[in-house]
Amino acid sequence: MRPSRPALTLRAIGIALLVAWSLGPVLVGVMTSLETQKEAQQVPARWVPSDPNTEYYAALLGGEQTSGRSSDAASDASEFPRAFVNTVLLTVASTVVVLLIAVLAGYGFSRLRFTGSRPLFWLVLATMIIPVFTLVVALYRLLAEFDLIDSFLGLVLVFVATTSPLAIWLFYNYTRELPPEPEESALIDGCTRFQAFRKVVLPQMTSGIAALTAIVMLAVWGQFLIPLLLSSSVETKPVTVVITEFIGKYTTNYPLLTAAGILAMIPPAIVALVLNRHIRGMLSAGG
Amino acid sequence: MASGIEIESLRKEFAGDVVAVDDLSLEVAEGEFMVLVGPSGCGKSTTLRMVAGLEEATAGTIRIGGRDVTALPPRKRDIAMVFQSYALYAHMSVRDNIGFGLKMAGVPKPQIADKVAEAAEILGMTDLLDRKPRQLSGGQRQRVAMGRAIVREPAAFLMDEPLSNLDAKLRVEMRGEITSLQRRIGTPTLYVTHDQTEAMTMGDRVAILRDGVLEQLGTPAELYDRPGNMFVASFIGSPAMNLIEARCEAVNGRPRLRIGDSVLNVPDAVARRCGSLPEYTGRDLCVGIRPEDFVSTAGAEQPETIEIAVTRAESLGSELFVYFQTVGTQASPGIVGDELGEATETPALARESLTARLERGTIVEPGARARLLVDTERLYFFDLETGAALT
Repeated sequence: MRPSRPALTLRAIGIALLVAWSLGPVLVGVMTSLETQKEAQQVPARWVPSDPNTEYYAALLGGEQTSGRSSDAASDASEFPRAFVNTVLLTVASTVVVLLIAVLAGYGFSRLRFTGSRPLFWLVLATMIIPVFTLVVALYRLLAEFDLIDSFLGLVLVFVATTSPLAIWLFYNYTRELPPEPEESALIDGCTRFQAFRKVVLPQMTSGIAALTAIVMLAVWGQFLIPLLLSSSVETKPVTVVITEFIGKYTTNYPLLTAAGILAMIPPAIVALVLNRHIRGMLSAGG
Repeated sequence: MASGIEIESLRKEFAGDVVAVDDLSLEVAEGEFMVLVGPSGCGKSTTLRMVAGLEEATAGTIRIGGRDVTALPPRKRDIAMVFQSYALYAHMSVRDNIGFGLKMAGVPKPQIADKVAEAAEILGMTDLLDRKPRQLSGGQRQRVAMGRAIVREPAAFLMDEPLSNLDAKLRVEMRGEITSLQRRIGTPTLYVTHDQTEAMTMGDRVAILRDGVLEQLGTPAELYDRPGNMFVASFIGSPAMNLIEARCEAVNGRPRLRIGDSVLNVPDAVARRCGSLPEYTGRDLCVGIRPEDFVSTAGAEQPETIEIAVTRAESLGSELFVYFQTVGTQASPGIVGDELGEATETPALARESLTARLERGTIVEPGARARLLVDTERLYFFDLETGAALT
């Protein structure tokens, strides 16, 4: 049955409100990033810049020293490009490792029968119940023990540990919904279990892997608390941490802060847009 | 000569003490096409999967081509399997799908190409070799699955309801194609289906399973003419055999049956064939009458007729199906063959529908009474308690 006109109107209004709720702050951020610091501090606030300029974007991308400028106290864009690269490296490395673990474990838990499979699976899932924030002190000590504080490896290890359980669970559900017959057929056609996985099952999983890539990338890209605690040098600090440093004790350069935020948002937005279809498929699997 | 597939005392238990297959023994001879048939959950697919090595047997032995394969992984059993969903490799072309097994076996590329071309020729799909499975129709996918099976020249074919996903017309067509292909190649085949028509039309022999137990094994004609029990009697034949509760009486030493108000004399030949019938004199038993063994008498009272109350009539053009109750019995006397040993309580719907297949043009009005002549030479008798056929 087609929904009635009032129902459609209500739905459209609901969607519009949701979009406004989600994109409103982004829009305000874009507007602010195109203003001058002076304009941004005006009371009452101006929502539309009188003379839009991309000065701060250029400064961020060019890694300019901005803190020397009279109006830009306590903010320095020079670390931004390096932080951006750090975030990209951390995200790519963590995503690759999480994918390797989640694809193999999700497949294993859903398709292979081995002793202790169930308890192990529940144990992995149980780790999701514990908020990582309750473990940061222990994590810090552990990483310090192995001399991994302020290192890429340390951050990647923590990201992998915190993201893998969810990824495994998502991929487990996804694999359970894949038809097992092609794999069984491959086993009969002469494949070992691993050959069947590599030659037949893995190609079946491309959509799921794409979705998981996006989900893990988005999760790692936005990590803030862990790198705030575990990274201190410009060599490892990701963009999320560097942006917060634009907030000064006495003044805050709002246009610079929002420009950095908008720039940091672009890669995950692209990933989400490109892989949107796959993400929806994975999140609805097993539902 | 080594047998194709031998199954000996096969048993499968799942977690929670569920016995899916119980002490099953079968032998598919060289070149034979055997059909495993039964209702859902009867253990037929589990049996096939154990033969394929996809499911581990709890007990028993499986031999293929005379070789004990019970403990071997699927790839070492020298079998090919066609699945209900075809199980094609979606990312490969038809050519690669068909040649995959050969590639895994290390067959040189030129030889693979030749064999794939030959299989494609046999199946009439040479033009489709470069397509991906998603670009094929259901019937074409079915053919690819067949091609993948035949190209390897295995010791046995296993087929798990390969026609279930096809529409009715294509199913009939493919039925013929599969059997003629199998006869040409001569590879022993174990074919699983829930469809008794498929079983009867395709199998050299048919094994009927129920609750993991082999009920009867025989040629389609044997199963139709001499069902071993009520379950087989009601499972084989479409529409199913009518199973009616009747009282066995004797007049001058000659047995006769009372079904409600109607009486049927048992012909001497039938009484001789069924020697234990006199033991049932004065007792109730189950009489089986196939729908095709009724003839309309246009209401005239004759010997060997039963009076019926018509509930529904369906014309198929070529014939007429009449659903009825016998007159003079309580509610309705039908027995469902699936309920051996508990024949007294049957669902109302099952009891109501006795069926007759009559010639086209027969005039039968729903709600009216009519008389049907019974071909008493073709009566079947079963024990009400055990369900076993009387011999």
